[in-house]
Amino acid sequence: MIGLNRRTLLASALASPVVLRHALGDTPIKIGMPVALTGPGGEIGAQMRRGAEFWAKHTNAKGGLLGRPIELVIQDTGGDPAACVRKAQDVVERDGCRLLYGMTYSSEALAVVPKLAEWNAIFMSSVNGDGRLTGSSLVPNFFRANTSGPMGTRAVSLYLRPAAYKGFFAIGMDYAWGHNSIGVFKDEVQRAGKNFIGDVYSPIGTKDFSTYIAKIRQSGADACFIVMQGDDNAAFLSQAKQYRLSDKVQLLTEVVDLNSIAATGEAAVGLIGSSRYSFTFPGEANAEFVEMWKKEYKTVPDTFEGEQWQAGLVLAAGITKAGSIDADKLRPALENIEIDSIKGHVKIRACDHQGEQQGFMVKVVKKEGFDKPIPELISTFAADRVTPGCGKMTYDS
Amino acid sequence: MRMTLAVAVLLALLPLGLPPYAMTLLTEALIMGLFAMSLDLMVGYARLISFGHAAAYGLGAYTCGNILLHTDIPLPLAVPMAGVFSGFIGIGIAWVCTQATGVSFSMLTLALAQLLYAVAFKWTSVTGASDGLAGIPRRPGPFGTTYFSTKIGFYYLTMACLFGSFLFARALVRSPFGAVLRGIRENEAKTLSLGYNTRLYKIAVVAASYILGGLAGALYAPFAGFANTELLFWLLSGQVLIMVIVGGTGTLVGPILGAAFFLLVQQQLSTYTDSWALFFGVIFIAFVLFAPEGILGLARRRRSVRSH
Amino acid sequence: MDVLPFLVTQCLNALSQAALLFFLGCGLTLIFGIMRIVNFAHGAFFMLGAYVGWSAVHWTGNFWVALVAAPILVGGFGAAFELGILRRLYGRDGHAFLMVTFGLTLVMGEAIRLLWGVEALQVQMPVSLSDIVFILDEPFPIYRLFLAGSGVVVAIVIWQFLERTRLGLLIRATSQNAEMVHALGTDVRLVRSAVFGIGCGLAGIGGVFAAPMVTASLGMAPNAVIDTFVIVIIGGMGSFLGSMIGALLVAFVQVFGSYFFPDFAMAFMYLIMLTILVVRPGGLLGKEA
Repeated sequence: MIGLNRRTLLASALASPVVLRHALGDTPIKIGMPVALTGPGGEIGAQMRRGAEFWAKHTNAKGGLLGRPIELVIQDTGGDPAACVRKAQDVVERDGCRLLYGMTYSSEALAVVPKLAEWNAIFMSSVNGDGRLTGSSLVPNFFRANTSGPMGTRAVSLYLRPAAYKGFFAIGMDYAWGHNSIGVFKDEVQRAGKNFIGDVYSPIGTKDFSTYIAKIRQSGADACFIVMQGDDNAAFLSQAKQYRLSDKVQLLTEVVDLNSIAATGEAAVGLIGSSRYSFTFPGEANAEFVEMWKKEYKTVPDTFEGEQWQAGLVLAAGITKAGSIDADKLRPALENIEIDSIKGHVKIRACDHQGEQQGFMVKVVKKEGFDKPIPELISTFAADRVTPGCGKMTYDS
Repeated sequence: MRMTLAVAVLLALLPLGLPPYAMTLLTEALIMGLFAMSLDLMVGYARLISFGHAAAYGLGAYTCGNILLHTDIPLPLAVPMAGVFSGFIGIGIAWVCTQATGVSFSMLTLALAQLLYAVAFKWTSVTGASDGLAGIPRRPGPFGTTYFSTKIGFYYLTMACLFGSFLFARALVRSPFGAVLRGIRENEAKTLSLGYNTRLYKIAVVAASYILGGLAGALYAPFAGFANTELLFWLLSGQVLIMVIVGGTGTLVGPILGAAFFLLVQQQLSTYTDSWALFFGVIFIAFVLFAPEGILGLARRRRSVRSH
Repeated sequence: MDVLPFLVTQCLNALSQAALLFFLGCGLTLIFGIMRIVNFAHGAFFMLGAYVGWSAVHWTGNFWVALVAAPILVGGFGAAFELGILRRLYGRDGHAFLMVTFGLTLVMGEAIRLLWGVEALQVQMPVSLSDIVFILDEPFPIYRLFLAGSGVVVAIVIWQFLERTRLGLLIRATSQNAEMVHALGTDVRLVRSAVFGIGCGLAGIGGVFAAPMVTASLGMAPNAVIDTFVIVIIGGMGSFLGSMIGALLVAFVQVFGSYFFPDFAMAFMYLIMLTILVVRPGGLLGKEA
């Protein structure tokens, strides 16, 4: 019965947007998405777009929000924060978007948030990791539905507590998120009484990691924490494999996503890391989402597609509760909102607008029935253990 | 002169009828126009082809950004201060680069600009490194007025900077100083043999160009509320050089049009298609093949065809 | 790890990077020597090589096929572009070439995105090269040794080609004095097409070589082009030997600089370029420009 319903939903979702708009009233809810579709972050941007489009289609098929259809206005930023500010300004001023739903890099988000008040727009973050967005740089119109960098790092460090590793090294991309997460990791390692040996940062778009790998080998660390995404992550993992880095050092990462695994092939097997979302997460809601996704795209959803979907659910719940997309009404509605999502229970806290949610640890393994290695859930941590104190990026215990 | 006045009046009246979005785009076009015009001073009048003019822009933007973030100096003062600072650095850059001529000069400007880029990339306390400076405010004043912080006020400030700079640049190239520059452009050895210290003239024009380019960067920082290393990157240097060429070198007005054209086409294309770069690239190639003298040249050719 | 194994492996590392940079720099400098134009699109040809290489490996399952097919296709595309567009522009000033090659960069980047997608593509390296060897007890990928060796081989081939063959002679002669060559009855235009094709083909080889190491991705072009400029400027524009020295210098500075002074590595590279230009405005082995 449910299967049949879903199919009819999808069928009506395939109807042309023009027809849809008339069916649902004439004033769509316009949601702006300045994302990186080109450059080293292009793959992440593409995931965000797919996740958002799927959410919009799904929501419109159910009658939209407040009886109005959702219309996404997607713009390419190339991953440049300056371009992102301009594109965000475009979608606000030209297209009349009062809602922003995704930006690829934390540096882009950090550049945009000071402008939100002037635009009277709400920004629902779906992938941005930098802890400062809900800390020192928090603005009233910013919300984060996704797992933040400190939260992912915390999951890794909680997992490591009973482990035997003694010396840690860290490598991150040389921008907001990389520095932030490694800072948190260092703090966690040192508080656990273990040795943080050193860190190194590679500029976004680095192609050859051989010297960084030599540095990690030289350090004598027995585990290395990686804070990378997109093309950089793929390049680093495949070169780490070429140098047999994992023979000597256990690789741990803050974000495990299918795309990097696909790009590195067998090189990713054995990688341990926190996962912001994986199709292998337990629960009925996720199983149902994965099925729907497979029907539409003939493949399983990846990390940022799932995160984008969850951010969409939070946004939709807020809009429904507020009965409006006006920032002054939507803001209080989003504060303290709770939903059951594909990652379990999510609550947006009023104090710093961070979504409290579980932390997941996965290990990349080869499995029957999959042509590529997949992330397998190895540990789950409760929301109150991974979410930092209000407005903070560090943990007390 | 009458033409300049007419354009000024037109631009001054535009805000009355334009939506906010168009105002933003227009302001950005004027800023870019100022930047391109500043480069034309070097390229078009002294044949000093700089591959590193982003240095002027980035210097202006970072200086203005830091002034606005860390002091109470009002916006209309911070902008020219940053321009002047950029000019000072420009003297040093010119001193190094004018040791060489021709292609070597271009390469030196590229090397220096990239060096600044590399420094900015790591000097976190001043530049915010790869995250850049975010939330650059438009400080009110002088005398407590918040007019220049508004959209229209900022537009008029930009317009004033552009026109002031244009009048200054035009006076410069029409002066005896400009005549010497043109002498350098046509035949440097001859100018030198006439007893002019050509290197000093070149340093002076580079400094002037850096002041105006810095002014443009200084306007950009509070315009976007943001500055990062992209503003120093060689890609921007390449783009602004292309704006100058598209518009027509040695005309001052042409590069402003070239910049506006570049920006508008890019903006419009990118709203309609993800593949804007494809069409943008084709436009460039077509431009070179079919409009070798630039936009201004194209306009003049059409006018002369009509008048015949 | 001891000092000696570290030094040896990092030097080998630098040599393998130098080989890649040399493929790029050598092509750019040849083109400049003959045509006096700066090919902005050189990075895009490098990237095209990587993607064509990926497709060749994907279809045939054979890396060696890719290594032959990609440079031919990329070089052929370069030569076609010269014949179709650049040829109309000789006699115009350098601006025209700057704009056309800039336009081409945009077009190629977007075309590649449309054809191959945004995901980084992993190119399978041949099984025989995917292993490691132990050098003084340090593991080192055979592929990088192969790359360094290939750099040496290609350098010798090009050098012999320039010295010994008729086309090589024509190329050298044209770069010295194009009018003279023309007056002697050779069609200089053909030499130009050939050189542009060869230069782009070399960038294409570089792309194929790079792909198994760093994946084929859309970010390849901008990084490659600026490094290539630096090499060619340091070595002297138009100088074959100069591009070799430039590639070695840049590779060693990047490898050891980013190891010992990660914060200053990039600045150091430009500082070297600046110093060389101030002392010798034409670059190490270039003619005074």
